[in-house]
Parts: sequence; C-alpha cells; structure tokens
Amino acid sequence: MDKKAILEIKGYTKVYGTKRAADNVSLTVESGDIYAFIGHNGAGKSTTIRAVVGVLDFEEGEIFIDGHSIKKEPLECKKILSYIPDNPDLYENLTGIQYLNFVCDVFGIGAKEREAAIKKYADMFEITDSLNELIGAYSHGMKQKLALISALIHEPRLIVMDEPFVGLDPKASYVLKQIMHEMCDKGTAIFFSTHVLDVAEKLCNKVAIIKNGRIIESGTMEEMVGNQSLEEVFLEVHDEEQ
Amino acid sequence: MKNSSFVLLRALMRSGGQINAIRYGHDKKKKSQFIGQIIGIGFLDLVILGLLTLMTLGYGLLGLTDIIPGLCVLTISLVSFFLTLLKTNGYLFNFKEFDMLMSLPLEAKTVAGCKFLYMYLKSLPFNMLVAVSMLISYGVFAKPAWWTYIIWLLLSLLIPVIPMLLAAFFGFLAAKFSSGFKKKNIIQTVLIFIGVLAAMFSRFFIQSLFEDEKGLELLENIAEPIHKTIDVYLPAKWFELAVTGKFWALLLLVAVCVLLFEAVFFVVGRSYREINSKLKSHAAAKKFKMTEQKTKSVVRSVAYKELKRMTGSPVYITNACVGELLVAILAIVSLFVDPVTMIGAVANGVEFGVERLYSAIPLIIYFMLGMVSTCYMSPSLEGKYYWIVSSLPISKKDLYKGKMLFNMYLTVPFMIFSTICFGISTHMPLPAVLLALITGFFLLCFSTAWGCVCGIKHLRLDWENEVEVIKQGSAGTLYMLPNMIVTMILMGVTIALGTTLNPYIVMAALSLVSGLMAFFSYRRVLSLAKD
Repeated sequence: MDKKAILEIKGYTKVYGTKRAADNVSLTVESGDIYAFIGHNGAGKSTTIRAVVGVLDFEEGEIFIDGHSIKKEPLECKKILSYIPDNPDLYENLTGIQYLNFVCDVFGIGAKEREAAIKKYADMFEITDSLNELIGAYSHGMKQKLALISALIHEPRLIVMDEPFVGLDPKASYVLKQIMHEMCDKGTAIFFSTHVLDVAEKLCNKVAIIKNGRIIESGTMEEMVGNQSLEEVFLEVHDEEQ
Repeated sequence: MKNSSFVLLRALMRSGGQINAIRYGHDKKKKSQFIGQIIGIGFLDLVILGLLTLMTLGYGLLGLTDIIPGLCVLTISLVSFFLTLLKTNGYLFNFKEFDMLMSLPLEAKTVAGCKFLYMYLKSLPFNMLVAVSMLISYGVFAKPAWWTYIIWLLLSLLIPVIPMLLAAFFGFLAAKFSSGFKKKNIIQTVLIFIGVLAAMFSRFFIQSLFEDEKGLELLENIAEPIHKTIDVYLPAKWFELAVTGKFWALLLLVAVCVLLFEAVFFVVGRSYREINSKLKSHAAAKKFKMTEQKTKSVVRSVAYKELKRMTGSPVYITNACVGELLVAILAIVSLFVDPVTMIGAVANGVEFGVERLYSAIPLIIYFMLGMVSTCYMSPSLEGKYYWIVSSLPISKKDLYKGKMLFNMYLTVPFMIFSTICFGISTHMPLPAVLLALITGFFLLCFSTAWGCVCGIKHLRLDWENEVEVIKQGSAGTLYMLPNMIVTMILMGVTIALGTTLNPYIVMAALSLVSGLMAFFSYRRVLSLAKD
C-alpha cells in the first residue's frame, strides 16, 4: 500500500498570553499509521489535538488534512476526519440512537449504510440494547463507546483521539484496538494521545513525545524504543529535558 | 442529504427540551414533576395572558386602541433584547459542546445561526403570549378585518428577530472584545451589564427625549412616547402599517429580518471559532506558592464556593447581580436627584409625598434585590458536579445554609447601602431608617429561604446549558411569580395604610409580616433538607 501523508503539522504554535502551549510542533501521520502522542499532563497534547480537528484557533504554523488546510478549508478537513475528545460532551437529553442519527445526518450517510454501520459497531461495543436510552443515563464508559461509534460510522481517513482508552472496560479496549488495526489496514491514519505507554508500544508504529509544548522525540516505534520499553524511553527523555 | 441547519436545530431542540427526556427516561418522579411544571407554567401563562389582556383592554377603553400594535412590538422587542443579551454567553458563545460540534463538518455560521434560532424558538411561547393578549384587545376595540388576525400572528413571529439579532451582535462584540483579555469573564460581564442597563434606561431616555410639552394629561403621557418611539423604531412602524392593510410593510419586515440574520451571522461566523477558542482556553498558571491557608466553617466554605461559581460565569453573575447594580445606581442617584421626582419618572408622573415613601422604601429596594435569588438556581447549578457535594460529609442542611448565606452576603450589603442612601435623600428620621433596615433584612431572609425552597423542590441537574436553570427553569418561575405578587400586595397595602396610619406602625407591621414569611420559608427549607 502506498503511504500518503494524511496529517501534516508544520510549525504549529499556540500561545496563551505569554505561555507557549504548543511551540513549533511539526509531525506527519501517513495513511495506515497508528501514531501515539505522549507527554505529561499539560504538555500540550490536547492543545495540539484540538487544533488538528479545527476546534482551536492558532496563530502560527499550518495543519493539513489530506492536503487541505484546516485554517482555510475546515469543512473539507472535517468531512474526512473524526475526533473523540477525552471527555465527550454529548447531548445528554438525546438517546444514543438519536445522537448517532444526528452525526449520520451531518455526514450525509444514507439510511442503509448507517443502519449497517451502527449495528456493526454497537454490537462490537455491546451497547445495542442501550441505544434507546438517554445519553444522560449512560456511564462514562458507555458515553465513550457512543462517541467512538459516532467517530467510526462515516469511515474517516483520519481518526484523532484524546485518551481514547480512559473509561473503557477491558473488552471494549480490546475491541477498540482491533478496530484500530482494521482501520489502519484499510489505509486510515490514527493519531491519538495516551498515558498508557505499554498499549501505545504494542499498538503504534510511530510515536512523538511532547514536553512543555515542544516535540522532544519522534519517529518510528522501532527507532525510538530499540531494546528498551517505551516507558523507559519516555522517562529517560523526560528527565534529560528537565 | 438533509439540510445541516435543520439537523442541528432538531438535535438542539430535542436535547434542550424536556420532552425527549420524559419520553425516553424511566424516572417516574421526573415525569410527574414535568407534568406539574407544565400545569404550573400553563397557569402562569394564563395569568400573564389575563393581565396583559386586561391592561390593553384598559387602553382600548381609554380610547388608545391605535397604540396597541406599537405597544405589542415594543414590549416583545424590549423583552427579547434584554433576555437575549443575558443569554448570549452560554448559548451562542462558551457553550460546553463546542468541541463536539466544531469538529463536525458544519460551518461556523451554521452552528452560530442554529444556536440563535434555538434561543428564538425557546422564547417564542412568551412572545406569542404577549402578541395574542394584545391582539384580543385590539380585536375587541378596532374590530379589524379577518386577515388582520393572521397577519398580526405571522408578524409576531418576526418581531423578536430584529432585537434578538441586535442583542446577539452586541453579545458577539462583547465576547470578541473580552476574549483578548486575561480576565475574560470580568470584561464580558461588565460589557453585558452596560448593555442591560442601556436597555433598561432607554425607556426613560426615550420618554425624556420626546416630553417637550409640560402639563400633559396622564393618557397623553403614555401614548405620546409610544407613538414617537414607533416613528423611530421602524419595525414597529412596519408592523402597524401591515396590520392596517399595507402589505408592502409586511414584505419589508420579512426582508429586513432575513437580510439582518444573514448579515449578522456572516460577521459572527467569520470569527466564531477564534472567539470561542479564546473564551474556552486557559493557560495553566504555574506561579502558585504555598502560603498559610485559612480555615472556614462548612457553611461559610459552601458560601465561598458559591461566590467562586458565580464569578466564574458571566451568565450567572449578570442574572444574579442585575438587581444589586440597579439598586446601587438608584441609591447613588437619589443622593443627587429628588427621590420623589425619581419615583414620578418610574410611575409615569404619579406624585408621592415624601413621608409616604418611608414605609415603601424597603419594598422598593426589595423589588430590585429580591427580583432574583441565587438560592433558586444554585442547587441545580451543581449539575453533573453534584457528586462533589453529595459525596462529601456535608449535611443537606449545611449545604443549603451555605447557599442561603451566600445570597445574604450578596444582597444585605446592597440593602444597607441603599437604605442609608434613600434615608439621607428623603431625610428619614433615624428610627425610621433602623426600622427600614430591619424590614429590608427580613424581606431578604424571605427571598433567600423562599428561593431555596423553590431550588430544592425543583432541583434539575441534567441541564445542557446553565441558562436553562438560571433563566428558564421552573424553580425560577415559581420563585418569581409569588414573590412578585407578594411584593406588589405589600407595596399597595403599605402605601395605602401610610395615608391613614403612623408610618412607624406600618413599618413595624411590615417587618412582622416579612419576618413571619421568612421564618416559615426557612422552616420549610429545613424540613426539605432532611438527610
């Protein structure tokens, strides 16, 4: 399969007052990549992710999704990407199925395709029975599963996730990892932040470490880790930069 | 493919309304509460319909039928402008599902426009209530053609659009300006306050602008400014012309609404993401240094938490503090302007003897301070963070006492300040000032405890947007209606008794009544707050 750059971040900088929350961040995620984005709390992961999906405005740099600039062509970018925030704020007075239909309507997915996709993923995450319940009655994990389904049903070319494994039960985590592999085999690029380093090490082919808004290490998992574990590498790099 | 505006608006309506929650929820208590709310609000709507119809029938009886269409437009416009101004932050900007919506392939203009239309649809029942009540009176006296009724109702759907768009645009400018500052909330709150005060005082400005003839009759005093305002406010003029058969005015009003909507959201859409990004983003400060920490009692600690909750939300603070701001302004103005003249300005020239004001002063102050009580909204405002207070070893009594203490902290200083100012300006004797302070204190105790009763009885934690609790909740409606009626009755009785009885006796009686109301409301809070 030919590799193609799906996400290109070039010199992205985000400043809050005098603080540079993201400082000249550059990285590339290609089709079929599962790219882990790791760093300590407040390092700039979410600030970068929110800019990638077109939620956060930024001053310097450029972000391209499949060649489209998120600044200049946000709609084109959003049509081909999916975003799952760390704490999804869904409409709590809608039922699960109403919410999924809302997302399908926004993406213009036909009745048959949406029915098949919703059934497939809802069955995989075992929440089909609860789709007629109000989202407000869902547990955190169920909300996370619903957000994941809504992100997968339109078959995006880029999936961006902020801490996707938080709140998921072991079975759902396993299912998500399977889906990530499946999507990646089809050429979808996945870019996600996580603190679960052993999962990142097993799952991803590329990784970037961010600290104080700057990328301090990035590359393929093999190059980065070598004979060590990702956890050891992370702690080493993190301490070196202190 | 369905239109994305329709899709989003439908989701907003389903999510923001209670019907979906009742239809798919399993909580029987919630369902019966909802039915109770519907009945309560239905009753309230009937009362408003009756009052407004009676008021406009009165105008008809006085031969002022021709001002009714203009009055209808002005009433709906002012209320819509004022309420939209208070709701813009929270509905249009700084709403919690911003990330979710903006990551979908929806244009910023579409999101902002749908949020506006959602606000419009939510306020439509009240606006139509005003329109229908005035149409009834107009129909009785003007006996118009059948089509007038249809045009009146159709145009009533459009009347709020222009003032709401203007308020939304003002909110946009306030949000854009404040987003550049570190203390965004404070700047935005100040700007919204300026807008609200401008809207409130515009009535006096317009009145003074046109009152160039002295010795006008009371009727002309009412009719003249309305006629002149209609001449200036073109949508009112077009409405008036349309209901009398000038169909070009109808088309003009429709065209202006559509064009203004497009223009406003074209401008808003261009910097929508930028403004919201700035409003929702905060850099983590890293300058904290541990110093000696102070301890507080549980009740005071809850009150302090409530203060921080209020100051952190422009919607909360503007709604909770508008009465305090008004009373402070009036109190200061009263030191320089004769209070009898001030009352005359508010009451369309009705004259009062200064002594008769003594016993009414606590009620005048309370009318503003007691308009809103933080206690009816603060229990529900815990929202999905209710688990914090419910999992801590805080008894419900202490929790609600803390919330009540905060309302007292907020209101009592303003009551003391304004009572003293009014006391000085009306040359009240010291014992009368003391009695006014005691009465004012008891009235605020009542407002606090009654607000808390409404807040506990109509606790709603599953809101999507805090505006739903602050401005549109059933707790607020049930707090305000009896409170307003009680205040009006007390005001009437106090002024009437003031003509025959010694003002000290009237004030002492008022203190006693308000003290008793406060006592019984507080007892109700304690019984509702049993763990």
